[in-house]
Amino acid sequence: MDDGMQLQISLDKLPIKRLDSIEENGIERFPLDVDYDEKRLSLIRRIDFAWAVEKDEEKKKKKQKSSKETSAPWQWQGMVENLQLAHQELSVIIDLINTVEANDAVTVASMTRPKLLPNEALSDLAVSAATKLQCYRHVGKYFKQSAKAFEQQVAREARFYGALIRLQQNWKVKRQRQAAIVPGNEGFTFDLLDNSYDQAAIIRSLSMSTVRVNHDAAGMLAINVSPDLCHSLQFGFVGAQSDDTWRKSNENKSHFSGEHNLGEMGEESLSDEECVKKTNSLLREVHEAIFNEQVFDLVNREAFNTVAGVSVTGIRENYLQLSLGQGTSVYLTLVSNSQDHSTVEDELNDNVENAILPLESSDGMKREAKQNTSKKGQFSNSICYEIYIQQIFHEHIFGKGDEKAISSGNRLSGVQARDGSSLLGHFFKSLAHRIFSTKVLAELENVVCKVPYLQLISNPTWNSRASSWTLYMEVPQSILRGSQTKTSDYYEKNAAKRQFWTKVVVNDDCINVKAEGSPNVAGLFKGKIEETHSINKYNCNLADLPVIILQQVASQIINWLYQEAMMVGIKVNRDFLCLSLELKQGETLGLVASVDPEDSEECISWWLVMEDSFAEEQKLHMSITDGASEYRKFLGHLSLDLLYATLIDLVGLCSGGGGQ
Amino acid sequence: MDSQGQTTSLQRLQNVEKRIVKVLELAGGVMDELASPVGPRKDVVQNHCLEFMQLIKDIQVALRDEIKSACEYRPFEKCDYGSRIANEICHKKVEFIMSQLDAMKQTIDEYHAAV
Repeated sequence: MDDGMQLQISLDKLPIKRLDSIEENGIERFPLDVDYDEKRLSLIRRIDFAWAVEKDEEKKKKKQKSSKETSAPWQWQGMVENLQLAHQELSVIIDLINTVEANDAVTVASMTRPKLLPNEALSDLAVSAATKLQCYRHVGKYFKQSAKAFEQQVAREARFYGALIRLQQNWKVKRQRQAAIVPGNEGFTFDLLDNSYDQAAIIRSLSMSTVRVNHDAAGMLAINVSPDLCHSLQFGFVGAQSDDTWRKSNENKSHFSGEHNLGEMGEESLSDEECVKKTNSLLREVHEAIFNEQVFDLVNREAFNTVAGVSVTGIRENYLQLSLGQGTSVYLTLVSNSQDHSTVEDELNDNVENAILPLESSDGMKREAKQNTSKKGQFSNSICYEIYIQQIFHEHIFGKGDEKAISSGNRLSGVQARDGSSLLGHFFKSLAHRIFSTKVLAELENVVCKVPYLQLISNPTWNSRASSWTLYMEVPQSILRGSQTKTSDYYEKNAAKRQFWTKVVVNDDCINVKAEGSPNVAGLFKGKIEETHSINKYNCNLADLPVIILQQVASQIINWLYQEAMMVGIKVNRDFLCLSLELKQGETLGLVASVDPEDSEECISWWLVMEDSFAEEQKLHMSITDGASEYRKFLGHLSLDLLYATLIDLVGLCSGGGGQ
Repeated sequence: MDSQGQTTSLQRLQNVEKRIVKVLELAGGVMDELASPVGPRKDVVQNHCLEFMQLIKDIQVALRDEIKSACEYRPFEKCDYGSRIANEICHKKVEFIMSQLDAMKQTIDEYHAAV
């Protein structure tokens, strides 16, 4: 009975404890809020059995009631209730265990650390010191590696920036800020355009005026220049072969030839010095190519303005052909530097074939020969025309913004004053003048070759549109020494007069001839003797030039003979090309000069003419009768000494031997 | 260490790079000194640190000056490109005249050989 009573008592505790109150209707109410401490205390108290004994009496009464109710409906009701109570008891135990674990954790966390023993402290210190030592070694190694790598990078960039610094002394270096820096490109560029230049002409050469700077594999400075963009200017005459010798030597100097390709393959072996030099040379070529493009563009622009005497007869992208009139046509072309010589020739031939060629008319054998001579002369100078056109436009381009260049006595300052609007006109006038003066020079050389006592002297004029030459003749010294006072007076008066000159000046296409010692035409018409040293001036064209020159020279010879005759005291008259001496019987003996430019041997020949008349009127009658009683003798081509000897003979004949 | 006559901005920046290399070497030296088995020598570490801070100050001063001067950078106002083109033209003239003189000399030599 006691065992049964205790077993039932232990089972009945739990639901009563959990239930806060039971109403009469049977509804069970549980406790709503329980504090943690209170809950823990209640759990601990339930383990204490002394507390359970106190409530044992209360539960007996309730147990009796419930046992009476359950015995009637179901047989296993008691076991089910017992199992439920056991389950609740286990839940309480699990809650207690969890609470204890949490409490232990809190207690462990709040515990203070116990003091270490001296040997334990020393061990901890040794371990931490060893760890720090290891960290220091790692950091030191890392720093040394960084220093080494950074030094290598600085050395590699020193090559690049060293080269850039040296090139910066010669060229404008600019840096463009980029959003994303491309590897191998620092954003540097060389600016090859001049700021003081007119902005309108940059259009053509804009693509090559900025050269990008790159790194190559070895870290050295490298520029990216396309050889096809660089051109050189060529000027020449249509139909003529270009002067190959000088252009070949010029093309060998170019760095876009095979030597450059060879340099590229062996680029790693190049030193920094050679790399900087090569880059500088490339930049110089690009810069010069830009200038050539500008000159070509300016020439094209001015060619389509109205230039007097110049017309455009052919045009392509890099080719311009102009006609100057008189059967002369010139071309200006840009030739790529990357092409070799044969390609240049093919390009020139193609350009010439595509352009419209004007027909040239030839007059005859002699004219063709002369033209060939003049063409040969003028075509070999196409290079100097090329240099001259570059110089003219260079002074226009770069001298525009500088006051010093204009005030430095520039010979083109007059052209610049007109805002460069007639630069091309000035150039073509200079070109036409050069061609014309070459023809004049050919004529003068022809005359001088055929007259042995003439010398040709060139006088530099330092003007591109003016040329000047002097024809110089020196007569032999007088042998006659007279003891008379009159003769000595003449001799002293004319002692220094042994030289005669004829000056030819060409301004653009006008020829002026000045001759010393010739009688004036007006004076001849008046019939009186003019002064000895009068100067005549003629305007003539190219065809009349030889005749006029020869007439002036012959007239100078007549003047010289006249002076010599006057010294002897003989009565003598002078005409333009005739020297007349009077004989005692009233006859007149004349020494006459005849000029013929087409003579094969000499151009001046001499005649001895004897006229038989007593009065002026009879002389007129004689000329009317066409020389019925005249006597002429051809003396041929005489040198000055022979002429002088002839004069002496005539003088002797006049003075004494009239009767012979 | 470096010459005072620094002419260009790029040269000054290159000197800054050299100082940065020196600074890293000093840091490595300090670490080596701290990691030595016999213990760090205090005077060596102190000298390295002093030099380190001095170089850092120099680097900062130089970079600050370069930043200021970079704002004042202007492209060439009066560059010598025109004079350079003039030199190229004169060079062409001299070459042309020399070729003419060589032709004259060749003609004279041929004349003397013929005589």
